[in-house]
Amino acid sequence: MAGLPQLYVYKAGPVEPVVLPGETVGLYVNKQWQFAQVEYIEPIPRSDPHVVDFGALAAAATSALTQLTLIEMASNEFGQWRMEALDDIEMTLWQGRSDGRLRSKNRMATVSRFTSLRDEDNSVEFFVFEDQHAWGQALNPTGYALTQGRVAFWGYRYVTTSMSQFSYPNKLPTGPWTRIPCGAHL
Amino acid sequence: MDIKKARGIRKSSEIITIAAATTPEALFTRTASGQNPRTVIVRKIFVYNNTGGDETVDIGTGLAGAFANIIPTITAVNGFDAQWTEELIPEVEVGADLTVQASALGVQVQVEVEEIG
Repeated sequence: MAGLPQLYVYKAGPVEPVVLPGETVGLYVNKQWQFAQVEYIEPIPRSDPHVVDFGALAAAATSALTQLTLIEMASNEFGQWRMEALDDIEMTLWQGRSDGRLRSKNRMATVSRFTSLRDEDNSVEFFVFEDQHAWGQALNPTGYALTQGRVAFWGYRYVTTSMSQFSYPNKLPTGPWTRIPCGAHL
Repeated sequence: MDIKKARGIRKSSEIITIAAATTPEALFTRTASGQNPRTVIVRKIFVYNNTGGDETVDIGTGLAGAFANIIPTITAVNGFDAQWTEELIPEVEVGADLTVQASALGVQVQVEVEEIG
């Protein structure tokens, strides 16, 4: 007998949707929960149009902090993204220009060629609501120049309807809702 | 855990018959018409030499005076074919078209590459 789908964020293994159409999500944006109902889902395959190139990097050089406009979403949409470094760079992720993601108290983790060797992609999953900016910065950790610093993104697109009648924590939706972290938690 | 996951897709060059001695010529044109040019790693090399003498083959990037080897010079023994597979070839990744030169015209060269992008 087939089991119920096990849907949750940061799931190990190949990327899967984290909610289904008709379900309610709480989108953590700008340090607040915004509620919405998912109306439509479609995949975004790993492909060249969603490859960000941080450009040529001299030995040990760091790129400018770069807005990841290629993975912004339209109004009332959020994206579920995973990423893979294609070149030998170390990339940091920011949501909000000064809000680092994937971090401990004192360090930010990076996404590199090693990342995809050692996990099943779940630790490189993140969410972008509308054009709430994601930013990236690439370091060339090698002792020689790199001509390109590419990172590929893929995942799912979710079209939603706002449920602005609800708010956190005093007026929550009546049914279950899935928490979608679309920004940094400071 | 599969740590040998393919990074890209496999493609091959045309069979190149060297047209002039010690003159670099195009070997493989990388895919570069998308938004981001792909990079290229040589995975296999096939050489056939029936020129009447042992010859050398250089695989690199750039034409004419801009040619630069990406792996050391290969010797192609007269009357023999030779194959180098990926276990024997350094993982050199380049962001450029591949070119080839040989010490004599008539040497045949073909490569299989992995394109990353």
